[in-house]
Amino acid sequence: MAGEPAKRQKREEYKKSLNADESNAALPKKKFYRQRAHANPFSDHSLAYPKSPSDMDWASHYPAYAVKQPQEKDEAESHDSEKAIAITQPVEIADIGCGFGGLLFALAPRFPTSLILGMEIRTSVTEYVQEKVRALRAQNSATSGFQNAACIRANTMKFLPNFFAKGQLAKIFLCFPDPHFKQRKHKARIVSYTLNSEYAYVLKPGGIVYTITDVEDLHKWMVEHLEKHPSFERVREEEQEKDECVEIMRTETEEGKKVERNKGMKYVALFRRLEDPAWP
Amino acid sequence: MNMALPFQCLKAYRRSVKGKEETLLIGASGSRLVVVESSSGQGSTWPAEEEASKETEAPAEDEERPGKRIKLTPTNTNDSNSNKSNFSCLALSNDQQYIVAITGEDKCVRVFHIDSDYRIHQLSQRPMARRPCAITLTSDDSTILCADKFGDVYALPLLMSPDDGVQDQEVPPTTSTAEQPETPVEFKPSASVLTVHSGRNRKVLEEQIRQASLGQRKSKEPLKFKHELLLGHVSMLTDIVYANVNGRGYIVTSDRDEHVRVSRAPPQAHIIEGFCHGHEEFVNRLCLVSSGRLVSGGGDAQLFVWDWLNYRLLTTIDVRDAVLRFLKSQAELSSIVPANEEGFKVAVTGIWNVPRSDAQRDEILVTCEGVPAIFHFGFDEAGKKHEQAIPLNGNAIDVTVIQQSPDSCVAVASVDYVHKPGSLKDPREQKQDDQAIPTFTSGPDGQWQADSTLDTAAGFLTKQLSTAVGAAGLAGEVDLKAIQGLLYGTANLRKQPGTDPDQVA
Ligand SMILES: C[S@@+](CC[C@H](N)C(=O)[O-])C[C@H]1O[C@@H](n2cnc3c(N)ncnc32)[C@H](O)[C@@H]1O
Repeated sequence: MAGEPAKRQKREEYKKSLNADESNAALPKKKFYRQRAHANPFSDHSLAYPKSPSDMDWASHYPAYAVKQPQEKDEAESHDSEKAIAITQPVEIADIGCGFGGLLFALAPRFPTSLILGMEIRTSVTEYVQEKVRALRAQNSATSGFQNAACIRANTMKFLPNFFAKGQLAKIFLCFPDPHFKQRKHKARIVSYTLNSEYAYVLKPGGIVYTITDVEDLHKWMVEHLEKHPSFERVREEEQEKDECVEIMRTETEEGKKVERNKGMKYVALFRRLEDPAWP
Repeated sequence: MNMALPFQCLKAYRRSVKGKEETLLIGASGSRLVVVESSSGQGSTWPAEEEASKETEAPAEDEERPGKRIKLTPTNTNDSNSNKSNFSCLALSNDQQYIVAITGEDKCVRVFHIDSDYRIHQLSQRPMARRPCAITLTSDDSTILCADKFGDVYALPLLMSPDDGVQDQEVPPTTSTAEQPETPVEFKPSASVLTVHSGRNRKVLEEQIRQASLGQRKSKEPLKFKHELLLGHVSMLTDIVYANVNGRGYIVTSDRDEHVRVSRAPPQAHIIEGFCHGHEEFVNRLCLVSSGRLVSGGGDAQLFVWDWLNYRLLTTIDVRDAVLRFLKSQAELSSIVPANEEGFKVAVTGIWNVPRSDAQRDEILVTCEGVPAIFHFGFDEAGKKHEQAIPLNGNAIDVTVIQQSPDSCVAVASVDYVHKPGSLKDPREQKQDDQAIPTFTSGPDGQWQADSTLDTAAGFLTKQLSTAVGAAGLAGEVDLKAIQGLLYGTANLRKQPGTDPDQVA
């Protein structure tokens, strides 16, 4: 992925320094990756995204699953080389707006046979998660742990269908999304009636959208807009509480921990992707 | 300079009235509509002239706080409406009974009927929450599909029922809690940017418009007519197509973020069937061609030809190269071509199907922003088979195509006679509105040539330009910037590198 040269260089140097002192398994320090809280989902970020899901270089994010183990030449940007980009199984779990990746890293060992992808719009937050993936893979090389976790920078509100094919995903997590309080900004919310159609598109029937927030109004908003969408039905509370992901979502997300410390409320709602009806 | 606005929209169609076949030509120039029948040269303009001049004489005493309600509930028999907003889009109902139009500044969807005496009647005027960008109709003509700048598509009944448009109209559930629409119906600027020319008044007007938009934003009143949110992109929508294939209805939408999306038609418009992935720049136009294939184009060097029901790219057409070849072939235009041809970019502004009896071979006409030509491409599944550049006397603004017989078609173009050919901003030394509406015809060989069968009609339209505009008080110095803004802007859809706020260190 093309990035700003200075930043990339900094990152390369950081990587090198980690390698040099033989502690390449050291976790990245969060303070180097902090970034202002909000990114505008409508603006033209110079984002890198594939033209279509099959153009996506998945192999570089999940090297252990690459179709052909490619001999990586380090300038990954070289044009149209015969680089294998495909992987042996598709990504099945997406953590949208993954932040610093707490959920991603908690899910990875619990779903060792599924590929999990964190998606985050903020550049340096994404870089942090990517560094942590690298470090955790190094720490767990003996067991091949965390080979199933990766993170990319993406504006999911615009480009989700560029990454995932129809019906590809089994789970989508929307954890503690930015609330965008102002009326005018409601279309900036990560859940809306129209955007729900895109979640339905990338989810397979039976797949689940997981939502959690500490903002009651946002919870109500998400419930209302997902319930109103004919492709989703709410998962009943009994079933919800049996889902192991719900507990992980409550306790392992960064935001979940913060709310815990502040003794705040956490509102959870799950929605199941229904089969498409027959054509009228 | 005494210049009138070129027609920014043009539509020709054949209809049969009381058993008589006739060809109508409709043009939109600024905030006016002009219609003419081609053989008799009879026609009219809208809004009617007396009304228009009355309006402009009225002093701009609109001092009311914009947030305050001015009674102006849209009704379905509002024939004497005035209009200060500029038309940006015209669509024809499939039964050819209705013209659906968008006016930009007031964000209105307007429905017109043209009677047998060629008088234009406005049947309804519905101000949307966001500025509409493109409209089409379902194949049964029951519903207008309106795509807006904010990325949403709304369904509106073509004809408003008598109880529609009343104050306490219940809003369908999908809109009641979605982003609360504004109510632009409350406010009408006392003039448009095209009718105010002194710098000071211009400022006042701009302020008025700005205030109004602030006022509107605060308003939480829902729209007062039936409308339903069908689908949405988080991007600016650029075009919308309705298709009916084997009894199944589809909506195809395109956006500034390279997407071509295929959804089901209502009542299942919430279901996305798939995407035609491949564009690397904004998509600006979609066109369903005779074979049923879809052609898309915008900021890319190629047009894409799709088997869209299977999301499969069949072939591409090098429109950029065709434009380059044309410019280089014209002595007075070759200077536009940059030394580094690789950096030359086109912005496709229009793609029109040329109806033919041969369903395997498709033909389209294509225009690009600021290029004084129409490009004709004939192609089949394997690729391009025919190409012709039809030179124009000014930049192509709009084109409309009608089938005269199974084997012959007529294309009517609207040409920018204000700016120099090839330029989006340099004015001509003198006006040449006699060349405003050239007509071309193409026989079975597919070659296009200049044609005179519609000259009477074109002449009438051109004449209306100066008289209508004169009546509206626009005959003086016309604000070139305003004209430029009205006619151009497609190239601005291209994303500029380095505009990422997130990347700023
Ligand atoms: C409040 S944080 C929550 C982070 C994490 N999910 C958690 O629960 O700890 C919301 C995150 O969503 C990201 N985000 C917002 N809009 C986004 C978009 N359109 N695409 C991807 N990420 C987005 C923000 O950058 C932010 O990191």
